[in-house]
Amino acid sequence: MLTLLIVLPVIGALLMPLLAERLLRSVALVSAGVTFALSLAMLMQFDTQQTALQFTEFVPWLSPLGLNYSLGVDGLSLPLIVLGTFLTLVVVFTGEKSAHRLFYALVLLANAGVTGALAAQNLLLFVLFYELELVPFYLLILIWGGERREQAAIKFLIYTAVSGILVLAAFLAMGWLIHAPSFDYADIQMAGLAPTTQGILLLLLILGFGIKMPLVPLHSWLPDAYVEASTPTAILLGGVLAKLGTYGLVRFALGYFPEAWGQFSSLLAIVAAVGITYGALAAIAQKDIKRMVAYSSIGHMSYVLLAAAAHTHLSMVGAIAQMISHGLILALLFYLVGVIETKVGTRELNVLNGLLNPLRGLPTTSALLILGGMASAGIPGLVGFVAEFLIFQGSYGTFPIPTLIAVIGTGLTAVYFVILINRTCFGRLDNATAYYPRVVWSEKMPAIVLTLLILFLGVQPTWLVRWSETTSAQIVAAVPSATEIVASLPQ
Amino acid sequence: MVQAIERPSSAKLPPLDHPLADIIYRLEAGGALIPDTPVNLMKIIGMYKAYSIPMDFYWRDLLYLGERVFINPFPFFKYFPTKEYFDLPNHYAGDTADLRIWRGPAHAHPELMAFIEKGETGKMPRLLHHLWHDRINMEFSEDLARAMMWHRMGGELDIYLDSEEYKAAADKAIRAYFKRNPLMLGLYKLFPDLFLEQARQATYMNVLGLFWEVMAPVFFEISDRYDEGSITSVKDAMNFLVNGIFAVAGRPIYHHVYIDDEVHVLVPKEKGFMWLYEAAFPYVEAVFYRTAPFRGTKSYNAQANQVPTDQVDFHYGILFADKFPVGTAGIPPTLLHQDMYHFLPQYLKDYFHQHCRGEDDILVQLGIAFQHSMYTVTSAVLQATRAAFYYPLDDPNPEHLMANRRFFVAQMNRFIRPQYGIAEACKIRNVQDPNYL
Repeated sequence: MLTLLIVLPVIGALLMPLLAERLLRSVALVSAGVTFALSLAMLMQFDTQQTALQFTEFVPWLSPLGLNYSLGVDGLSLPLIVLGTFLTLVVVFTGEKSAHRLFYALVLLANAGVTGALAAQNLLLFVLFYELELVPFYLLILIWGGERREQAAIKFLIYTAVSGILVLAAFLAMGWLIHAPSFDYADIQMAGLAPTTQGILLLLLILGFGIKMPLVPLHSWLPDAYVEASTPTAILLGGVLAKLGTYGLVRFALGYFPEAWGQFSSLLAIVAAVGITYGALAAIAQKDIKRMVAYSSIGHMSYVLLAAAAHTHLSMVGAIAQMISHGLILALLFYLVGVIETKVGTRELNVLNGLLNPLRGLPTTSALLILGGMASAGIPGLVGFVAEFLIFQGSYGTFPIPTLIAVIGTGLTAVYFVILINRTCFGRLDNATAYYPRVVWSEKMPAIVLTLLILFLGVQPTWLVRWSETTSAQIVAAVPSATEIVASLPQ
Repeated sequence: MVQAIERPSSAKLPPLDHPLADIIYRLEAGGALIPDTPVNLMKIIGMYKAYSIPMDFYWRDLLYLGERVFINPFPFFKYFPTKEYFDLPNHYAGDTADLRIWRGPAHAHPELMAFIEKGETGKMPRLLHHLWHDRINMEFSEDLARAMMWHRMGGELDIYLDSEEYKAAADKAIRAYFKRNPLMLGLYKLFPDLFLEQARQATYMNVLGLFWEVMAPVFFEISDRYDEGSITSVKDAMNFLVNGIFAVAGRPIYHHVYIDDEVHVLVPKEKGFMWLYEAAFPYVEAVFYRTAPFRGTKSYNAQANQVPTDQVDFHYGILFADKFPVGTAGIPPTLLHQDMYHFLPQYLKDYFHQHCRGEDDILVQLGIAFQHSMYTVTSAVLQATRAAFYYPLDDPNPEHLMANRRFFVAQMNRFIRPQYGIAEACKIRNVQDPNYL
């Protein structure tokens, strides 16, 4: 079944060059739609109480190299897979104006790559998929990006390629140093390695996945890539790709090096607090609303790092919830910013005004933007609150000061979203320019669906966290608590 | 894009260094404040038609307010004029007209009567139509009358309203009105000025009613002539208005109040107050240039000292109306827009549906078209004033032409006053642009 999740988008992508122009979108939609439906069916069948991997598949591939086609999901990876297939469907639906066969093919391939990486149960297979999605994203930015797309695409390529190299180097070292029979996750046990070696390998992983998240100060590719990318690509970048970074940190860095992680955790919590504050302050300083949303992403991904650093049960549930929540909210915000840019022709904060105008503005878009901003700022009743509250609740006991800084960061999120909303939605619509095209229903639909999800998961958080509770408990159980590690350190 | 204006061939004046020079040249050539294009003509005539039918209700109800409701402190049914007022023969329409301007009937317009009966929702008691706001919104016209009163242009009538003669007549009428109401009589004793001011307001309601009694048939007729093809340019339309203004300029302005079976004359016809000077000019000055009866006008921020301390500087009228309602910071289209919307001629409805957002922002498009039509009315007033007080446009004497120019320049200067941001707010540059919709 997991193979189908990977193969279906690949088949869709391979069909693109063969199809007539008018069929492109329909076939892409069917491919993405069926994949999403399948992932949803898996989610429904997923046994939330079971600690073992589910939907496992194993096919020996290049055994001498330790590479097997080994797949499986748990409460960490499955929700992210569903998020990825869902956002891919949204992107295919919204990609109407970019109705190019290559566009759909690349989007579907990117989805296949991300799903493969999340489902992989073999380190080399993970790297294979991890690198595979790089090419579609690079081309998506390069071909459908903004004016400075070449620079942004190259920057993205270099950074993420370095990320891939670091991760590959760490994985190879992990396998070789312990003489593992294969690179299957189950065969990798790092406990016997010297603490220094573990520390070095962990550092490689933190750097590798930190670039992907991205962590401050490894983030400088992100604003350019997010801003220059077209709206659909930005949704995939922020909503799906960045999650591979946090997933990698939790799965590999925390999962394989629990003790070393514990020793690094205080530093990581500080890095997270810096990232949250930096992301928020940088967002406040922006004059381009897309760049503002992009910087907000840096801050919000740092919440995941804080939760992972604390690695309590509650914070881990919060971390996974935050990945989903951030994916949905960021997708909504990028989508709405894209609509505004398309209709108004600018993303400049100093130019936009009065878009809430019911007759000639973009009232629905503006209303949803306000709601998206509220969700991002962690207003109760919306999904952002659930995730952030769990993280704060779970992290405070371990890292009170970084957690308090994160809480202040949430306040700063409210500040820049109030700035954005106040300047963009309120005020007087400019008479001279207020001839914006109407936002038609098909353009509103993706935003409405995303909003409904944000609302639904906000008032029914069980549907957000139930999938990952057992897995979170399992991850945490394998790791000595940060408090214990700190206490065990020589005084 | 601003339409290029040819200076009149007869011009014997030097070129003008003025931000609105093109418009002044057009006025000197006998034109209007807006470019003479078929689309502009269609818009202004269509809006006259849409405006005239509510106006037929406004003037009838305003007379009802002035003559019957008068100073009723709880006028719950003031927007329900009696049948007598719907049947009231217009002095400028029908067979009984003093001067027949419209060839149609003298009683209320048939489209108005049909709307009052059915509205947009369907046939039901008038009170339900009223509560549902499926009606002609009289609030608009009351605001205009109050605006005229607040600005009090300093004409003869204005002086008369402060005279002992008026006060005595008003006192008599007030006492008669409350003769069976000791409480109100007691209050009148305590606060006589308050009641007197209410009487003056009733007089202004009456004055505005008398003004619109003329304008409604003018607009009916102009619309009919456009439909027949005899009005083919903005200039034709403007000249029709100018001729109409002159034809009725001397109409007496008066105020009679009917209490029980008695007629109380607050402003007698014999005083010789004339329609042009006591109703038309003050209306244009107060409503078009200065006042704020229209919700949706330029916003003043009192805390930022944007409200002029001098009443004359309070420029806030329809010509300055911002047609874009904005969330919490803005104001929805006016009630007048909604009133006119019910009576849009099909050709204008079709035009609006093809532009901008069609039905969705039709009130904005309608408001902007209304600006065009009101600029044409203003043009007619300017040309009529020039004709009355200055010189013919083809006068051979350059001094006379220069006097005309000074008049036009002075008027245009009112639209470019930088201290209140009027230059942009008044939209006079916008209405030159065919893409301003």
